[in-house]
Amino acid sequence: MPKPRKTAWTAALLLAVSFATPVFAQDEAAPASADTAVVTHEQLLRVLEGYTEQIQSLTNDLDKLKKIKFSGYVQARLESGEANSDTVKVSGSPYTATTANLNRFYIRRARLKLTYDTGALSQAVVYFDGGTDRTVRLLEAYVTLLDPWTPLHDHQLTIGQQNVPFGYEVERSSSVRELPERSRAENVLFSGERDRGVKLVSQWTPAIQTTVGLFNGGGVNHVDFPNSDPTLAKDFVSRLRWSQGTFDVAASYYFGRNTVPLTGADATAKKSRVGFDAQAFYSLPTLGGGTVRGEWYMAHEANADSAKALIVAPTSGNPVRLLKAGANPDHLSTDASGGYLMWVQNVGDRAQGVVRFDAWDPNVDTDHDQYSRWSIGANWFWDGFTRVTATYDAVRTETKTGPRWTDPKDNLWTLQVQHKF
Amino acid sequence: MKFVRTALLVAFAALACAAVATAGRGITVKGSDTMVILGQRWAEQYMNKNAGQIVQVTGGGSGTGIAALINGTTDICQSSRPMKQDEKLKLRDRYQTMGVEIPVAKDGLSVFLNEANPVKELTIDQLKQIYTGAVTNWKQVGGKDATIILYGRENSSGTYGFFKDNVLLGRDFAASCQTLPGTAAVVNAVSRDPNGIGYGGAAYTKGVRDCAVRKDAKSAAIMPTAATVHDGSYPLTRYLYFYLRKPAQGDVKKFIDWVLSPAGQKLAVEVGYYPLK
Repeated sequence: MPKPRKTAWTAALLLAVSFATPVFAQDEAAPASADTAVVTHEQLLRVLEGYTEQIQSLTNDLDKLKKIKFSGYVQARLESGEANSDTVKVSGSPYTATTANLNRFYIRRARLKLTYDTGALSQAVVYFDGGTDRTVRLLEAYVTLLDPWTPLHDHQLTIGQQNVPFGYEVERSSSVRELPERSRAENVLFSGERDRGVKLVSQWTPAIQTTVGLFNGGGVNHVDFPNSDPTLAKDFVSRLRWSQGTFDVAASYYFGRNTVPLTGADATAKKSRVGFDAQAFYSLPTLGGGTVRGEWYMAHEANADSAKALIVAPTSGNPVRLLKAGANPDHLSTDASGGYLMWVQNVGDRAQGVVRFDAWDPNVDTDHDQYSRWSIGANWFWDGFTRVTATYDAVRTETKTGPRWTDPKDNLWTLQVQHKF
Repeated sequence: MKFVRTALLVAFAALACAAVATAGRGITVKGSDTMVILGQRWAEQYMNKNAGQIVQVTGGGSGTGIAALINGTTDICQSSRPMKQDEKLKLRDRYQTMGVEIPVAKDGLSVFLNEANPVKELTIDQLKQIYTGAVTNWKQVGGKDATIILYGRENSSGTYGFFKDNVLLGRDFAASCQTLPGTAAVVNAVSRDPNGIGYGGAAYTKGVRDCAVRKDAKSAAIMPTAATVHDGSYPLTRYLYFYLRKPAQGDVKKFIDWVLSPAGQKLAVEVGYYPLK
C-alpha cells in the first residue's frame, strides 16, 4: 500500500499529465479523482513511455526539417554618383545615371538560398536573386556528390549552374566581401560570376586543393544565356590553391573560345585567362585581424576594340556583319590584364576599414582605355547579422573631349545596409 | 545632392570612429554542452574571487558556440572538438583571423553501457560498426541476443562531432540512433535501457557502466581513468578548448589565465575532467 502523501503526489503528476495531453489521457486508465486514485508504477511508466514516443516522433520530424536550410541576405543601398554612368554600371545599379537619379535608393541584392543537406553523399542547392531588377532570377542550381571513400569527403563533384572556380573574388560571396563590389577586371572577365557546367574539387592535404571544371563558357550574363551553348566546345578551368591558414596563394587557368557573331558562319576567337591570387592574414592584439590581398588577371580574348577594327559593322543600307577583307579572325583576340591590391583592417570586433586599388586594361596595345579606381570603405557590424557599409570610389577613366583626353566626373558614394540570415 | 553627400560623409566618419564605442560589458562564454557545468563552475569561482567581474556561461553545443563566435555574440567559445576548416574560414572571412585555440582541460569520451549489459569491452571498429548500423545485435560483439539500442547527441554537439570523426571516421550515424539533448540525457536513457549504448564526457558516468575501449583487436582494453586519459593511452581522449577571435587581452585574458592556473585546473578535476599537466 503506497503512502498517502506519495500517492497524492503521483496522482497530481498524472493529473497534470492528463490535462497536458487530453488525447493521450483518453487512452489511459486515469484515476477518477486525486483523493481515491492509486496509480501504479506501471501506469506511470506507460504514460512516460507514451511521452517518449511522442518526443521521438517529433524529434524524427525535426531531424528531417533540419536537412532543409534557408539562408540569404538583403543589401539595400543609397548611392550618390557624380555625372557619368560608368562607375554606376560597375557597381551594378540597374539605372542609367541622369541628373534626375544621381542620388538613389535601390536593392542591390536580395538573395534566398535553399540547401537540402541529407548529411549523406549528396546535397542540392537552389539560389535565387530578387535584387537589381523587377524579376526573380535563378542564380545557382546545382547538385554536389560527395565521395564515399574518404571520411571527410575530400573529393566533391558539382554539376549545374554555379560560380566559375577561377581566382578568389569570383567565388567569394558578396555577403562577406569587405567592399560592395568586385574589381573591374573580374566584372568584365567573369560577368555574373556563374555559368553552367561541372567541377571537381579535391582536397589532397589540409593545405592543397585542386579544382578542374568544364563550363558552357558564356556565363549567366551572356546575351544567349541560357538557351544556347555560345561556343559549342566547352571551356576548361582549373585552379591550384595552397592554403596555410595565414597565407594563401593560388594560380588559375581558363581556356575556351569566343564566338563572334557574323552574317553567315560565325567566327571563333581564342579565349584564355591566367590568374594569380595571394592573401596574408595577421592579428594585432588591440585592433584585431587584418589582411593584405592581391589578385591579377591576364586574358587573351575578343574585345570591342578588335571587333571594331576587324569587322564591318551593319548599316541600314548594308545590314550584314562581316570580317573586313583580309582580316584574320585570330586577331579578334587581344591581350587584356587587370587586378587589385587591397588592405583590410578590423578595429575591434565591430568595425573594419578597407582600402583597395584596382585597375583594368581591356587591350594592352591601346592607350586611353585603361580604368583604375581607389576605393575606401568602412564596415560597422551592427550585430551578428547586420552590417552597415560606407564606401567612396574614386574612378579614373579617360574620355576624349575635343583634342584632349580627360577624366570625367564619375566618383561614387555608397551607403549600404546588409542583413544576412 | 549636397545633403546626401554630407549624410554619407557623416555616416562614413561615424563608422570609422565606431570602434571606440565598444565598451566592457562582462565576459560571455557560449558553446559545448559537455563543458557547460565546468564553465559555470569556473565562472562562479572566478567571480567570487574577483568582485565586479561578470562571466555568463551558456551551452547549446560546440557548433552553436562557434557560430556565436563568428557572429560576434560571444567573447569565448567553449568547444569539445577542434574547429573545422570551414568554420575557421568563416571566422577568417569576418575577422581576418583563424581564431585563437586554447586547450583548457582534457576529457575522456566514455562509452556508456547499462549496468546489466555483460559486454565489457569494444574495439573502435566495433563501435563504428554498431553506430553505423552494420552491427545491430549484442551477440555479434559477445553479448546476449538482443537488439542494440543506440543513443547519441545532436549534430550541433562537439561530442557528436568528435565521435563521428574519431570513431565513425566520418561515416554517418545509423538512422536508428536516437539523438538526445545533452550527455546527461544519454546517461539517463542508457541507465534505463538494458540494451542501450551511449557516449559522452567521462564526467557524466553515473548509474551506467563505462565500457573499456580497444584501439584495435590487438591492443589492450583501456578504461577511461584519470591516469589513462592523462597519459593519452585511452583511445578516446580529447582536449576541451576555448576559442577566441583574437589574442586574449583585458578581462578575457585575466579569466583565461585563471582557468589555466592551478586553481582553475583543480576545479576541472573536481567537476570530473582532467588537467592539462
